[in-house]
Amino acid sequence: MFKLDRKSIIIGTSAIATSALMLSGCMGTTAFGSSSETASAPSKVGVYAIKNKTAIDGGVTYEKANGTEAAYSYNQQSTKGVSFGRTPTANEIKAWDIDALPDGTGLPEGEGSVEEGDELYEEQCAACHGDFGGGGNGYPQLAGGNQDKDENGIVITLKNQRLAPGMDAPKRTIGTYWPKATTLFTYIRDAMPYATPKSLSANETYAITAYLLAQNGVMIDGQEMDEEYVLNAQKLTKVVLANNNGFYPNIDGPTGPADVKAFFADRAKNIGSGTRCMTDCKDPGMDGKTEATVMKIGYEMKDVVPAYSTVRDLPPEVEDKSISKAEKMYNVNCKLCHATDNMGAPAVGDVAAWKEVTAKGVDKVVYNAINGMGGMPAKGGNEDLIPSEVKEIVDFMIESSKPKH
Amino acid sequence: MNKKFNTEESTSVVSRRDFFKRTASVSAVAAASILAPASLLADDENIMHHPKWGTTLGDECNYNPYGFPSKYEHNVVRRTSALMSSAGDMHAAISMTPLHIQKGIITPSGLHFTRTHNGVAHVDPNKYRLMIHGLVEKPIVLTLEQLKRYPSESKILFMECPSNGAAEWKGPQFNSLQFVRGMMSCSEWTGVRLKTILDELGLKPEAKWMLAEGSDGSEMSRTLPIEKVLDDVMIVYGQNGESLRDEQGYPVRLMAPGWEANLCVKWLKRLEFGDKPWYAKEETSKYTALTASGKAIQHFYALETNSIITSPCPEIPWTDLKKGDLVEIEGLAWSGHGTIRGVDISFDGGKNFVEASLKGLVLPKAWTRFSYMYKYEGKPLLLQSRSYDDSDNVQPTVNQEKKVVGVEGVYHRNAIHTWAVNAKGEVSNVQVRS
Repeated sequence: MFKLDRKSIIIGTSAIATSALMLSGCMGTTAFGSSSETASAPSKVGVYAIKNKTAIDGGVTYEKANGTEAAYSYNQQSTKGVSFGRTPTANEIKAWDIDALPDGTGLPEGEGSVEEGDELYEEQCAACHGDFGGGGNGYPQLAGGNQDKDENGIVITLKNQRLAPGMDAPKRTIGTYWPKATTLFTYIRDAMPYATPKSLSANETYAITAYLLAQNGVMIDGQEMDEEYVLNAQKLTKVVLANNNGFYPNIDGPTGPADVKAFFADRAKNIGSGTRCMTDCKDPGMDGKTEATVMKIGYEMKDVVPAYSTVRDLPPEVEDKSISKAEKMYNVNCKLCHATDNMGAPAVGDVAAWKEVTAKGVDKVVYNAINGMGGMPAKGGNEDLIPSEVKEIVDFMIESSKPKH
Repeated sequence: MNKKFNTEESTSVVSRRDFFKRTASVSAVAAASILAPASLLADDENIMHHPKWGTTLGDECNYNPYGFPSKYEHNVVRRTSALMSSAGDMHAAISMTPLHIQKGIITPSGLHFTRTHNGVAHVDPNKYRLMIHGLVEKPIVLTLEQLKRYPSESKILFMECPSNGAAEWKGPQFNSLQFVRGMMSCSEWTGVRLKTILDELGLKPEAKWMLAEGSDGSEMSRTLPIEKVLDDVMIVYGQNGESLRDEQGYPVRLMAPGWEANLCVKWLKRLEFGDKPWYAKEETSKYTALTASGKAIQHFYALETNSIITSPCPEIPWTDLKKGDLVEIEGLAWSGHGTIRGVDISFDGGKNFVEASLKGLVLPKAWTRFSYMYKYEGKPLLLQSRSYDDSDNVQPTVNQEKKVVGVEGVYHRNAIHTWAVNAKGEVSNVQVRS
């Protein structure tokens, strides 16, 4: 019924032959590991030649050689010397290079007090983020949550897991969760207030930052941030948030990139990876004692826009008000011949021609349109048109062929 | 066999000729009812009559100079939900690609999922500037036209929000493929390999990180490691043969193949090279994955090996099948770590698996189609797919993933997905878990 690749058959068979214990585990598991892979095929475990099996993200990179890189061909001529654009001026770089690092590099001059921040927050932020940063309006909660730590220095409430209904969620506020306070400053200055981003001055941004840090109970140099507390770049750089050490892998310092790479290389341990079992599989994520159950949707989210539908039909007609019903009928039934005089019919818009057509009166024109005349078939060839519709079309054609003032 | 009159086409054109034809076929139906069962089927009106579109003049060849889909496709749309927003505000929200309609591996640009942090910016391409500076010998500023002067590269790559499937950590929630996995799309992207530009600018050896910054109201910014930047990162302006759509960052976004879509910063304005990571605004309470240990994974880059069965699915179930019908089970597999090597399918919720076939193009960091021919028996099934890639990554079970990272991480959920098919062929979203 199914085929296993050669390696899994070998592993599966030997597992059965050598150990009855496999029955309680997983038979026919395909073991993945760089040792077994490299033994059979040094640089190619899939479709394409792999250059590097230890990329920084735990994935592979592909060989770029002889005009091919994985599935893609490329031009092997040198691109050396390709250069467009110009050198930015010092002022241009200054205008755009306003980011700030946790060590304070890039933070601007200026200052603001908790009290000033309180006022600004009430005006500009509270509508979304709630009073005192407490949330409640559907937008992110900025303050609150318990910052107490366990013996390993981990914020206890961040270990909350909602494994059953009614359990508490971990709270991800500035005080309980954010890694760095400098990010708060750049976030507010560059992206807030939501509807008018980049409208706050450096002083105002320091003030709001001060207010939010105060709401989160942050101390700077052992000092509480009361109403009079004035924040500036030097003080902001000294802030150590409660969850400062709550993130991994390490990205800082000279070993940062290498630490990241080492972390992602051990996917099974750090992220969770599967096993390729084919028959009589036991869920490796289970304790082996209980059976997995089939969990159905408890509360179905049906609040979707637009509503679900896979029907193929015509959408509800949206009336095109830019064009009259008469013009629409003209476009469908008459325009082919009457758009120009190429076919001998008087062209709509040709004032002289239509002056001649209407010389015997509009009624005569309508009569001819209904019954046909010369090369023109009755009703322009559409017998479904009723006389009043033909008259509407004729009126439109006459109106469109009057001199324009 | 369509026994119903096509109401639109049959009733809108009522000519005398049509009227007689219709009367004739109705009496044929009446006459047929006393004949042998094999002749009982009425003649299909759609075959017996000339359709309206065959008896009238169509639109002019270029009536719509930048075309759009048939109006009958009006239900093929991105959808969103208040759950994907802040309090129903759709400026910082997500819309989902209709995967249930999707065939092949290219998402039409207009159906590519969207994620914005401060609304969709509409950038004037004439005023567009890209600055590259920091730890480079020669900083530059480029206009859009100058950027397009660099040798171009086109690649088919998936783009996925790391929140894809995030609603389902604690259990199934949406009975819809579109909402279960629709925060992803796949396109052919065209732009410049960043390394090509950097080779000229002269990256300084102490450069370890790159800040990518957008020009939208959210000033979206993220830090990327230099190893990735020098491998396959692109600055893209083209998508599926046209310019990027506004929702995708027109005129220019970053493309970090296989990595979180938020790292592929839209409306890209600035790339700065430095020796330290920035701790940018979206590297805080968002885009960090809190695990059961109470600590959170930061700089979580590559999307995991993943797969989903797209047919059947809740939107397009098997309710029209008869026992014995041979039908294709089809799906999508993808991995930000490399190239999909294969996909296994289970009918019994993960106890036994069979190998599916890959079909079509099998490309690195792109959607890959898998297929399995199945004889429908009208029995209840627990359908699963499990992909594996050339970086030795295998999709975990729900319980395996939960054991390592818990259920509060929001991001990078790639547990094996289960569709329950009942005896009627209806499909619903379930999870096999403890």
